[in-house]
Amino acid sequence: MTRLLVLVLAFAVGGPLAAQRGSSRLAGRVPAAALPAIDSMIAAAVAEGLPTEPLVQKALEGGAKGIPTDRLVNGVRRGLLQLRQARILVGRAVPGQPQPEGHVAAVAAALARGLPPSIVERLLTAAPNEAPAPVLHAAADLVAHRFDADAATDLLVEAHNKGLRGVRLLDVAAAADHELQRGGRTPSDALARVRAMLPDVPAPAVTRRGPTGS
Amino acid sequence: MSDDPRLIAAIELLKTPPPVSVAERVMEEIRRLPHTERPTRRTPWLTWPRGVALALAAGLAAILLLPSGNNSLTPGAAEGIAQFVGHFPGARSVEVVGSFNNWSRGMLHLRDDNHDGIWHGDAVLPAGQHEYMFVVDGDRWVTDPLAGRFVQDGFGAGQENSLLIVRPAAAQP
Repeated sequence: MTRLLVLVLAFAVGGPLAAQRGSSRLAGRVPAAALPAIDSMIAAAVAEGLPTEPLVQKALEGGAKGIPTDRLVNGVRRGLLQLRQARILVGRAVPGQPQPEGHVAAVAAALARGLPPSIVERLLTAAPNEAPAPVLHAAADLVAHRFDADAATDLLVEAHNKGLRGVRLLDVAAAADHELQRGGRTPSDALARVRAMLPDVPAPAVTRRGPTGS
Repeated sequence: MSDDPRLIAAIELLKTPPPVSVAERVMEEIRRLPHTERPTRRTPWLTWPRGVALALAAGLAAILLLPSGNNSLTPGAAEGIAQFVGHFPGARSVEVVGSFNNWSRGMLHLRDDNHDGIWHGDAVLPAGQHEYMFVVDGDRWVTDPLAGRFVQDGFGAGQENSLLIVRPAAAQP
């Protein structure tokens, strides 16, 4: 009973506090006229159990860029809608299980990159208990380089089935792109060549100054 | 052919297989040159003649491959080093502003110590995804064409942020 009470109190107090923390970071960083609408969206995200950091970041970005108030608010609203859609997709992939905020945020980021929801859902279902960001970025990379989305997803699922995890899935996308750039190959040829390599796709090299972003 | 020792060193380096991540970025830039598929991101330097662009690519490779003398960056297991490079001849200042610094100004300035217009800088960042842009001369927001990954900023004007994925040092081979 005590535990339950603590949980209820934590939820009741923690939610508004989280929203307040997000709002306080925006004071002086975004136009005052935009604050009420953004505060309201952050509060809605808290109430719905969605991550708020992407919304705070979007508001800070808009403020830094000097985006006009109406467009800034719309940008944050778009982010909230993507988070809601992301939560639905995560919920379908792992029904009845908690939806970590990091997973929801990663899926929202993939949607923002233009990855089709059907592809996102397929990738989430293929590895329901793993952090989804790397495989979603790998898929988004391939789609951005004009590989067929379904064929690219097939490759990534096969790579996962053959033991590649996390950032190694980004190497699969990089290998496909390299194969395509070698010339005289269609995207499907390139994907087939990488499929034949699995799971031994080249790993990224390390520069003399240490690991780099990819 | 330039007699700039940095370019010569870069050409020598390019004769040997460079690390994949660097080659990927340089080749990505070279591949991008004849195309105009991203008009919103196109900047004048991308329309330079191919030879000039190749020289620039060689210069970029040198910057990315050679030790900088700054060995103080030591990432933790859940961090990585991000390297930023941009070509902004005549610029007075270039900084990187992004989600990793709460889109705050004045926190990550790039350097152009030899005034060749190539600005660069390193930063230890948490592993994961980061959106960013360059801010040139304090007021011009520029998408990093070398980023390789881009995402609409969502504010309705078609502007793109550059997207960086930092690998954790612990995940390096």
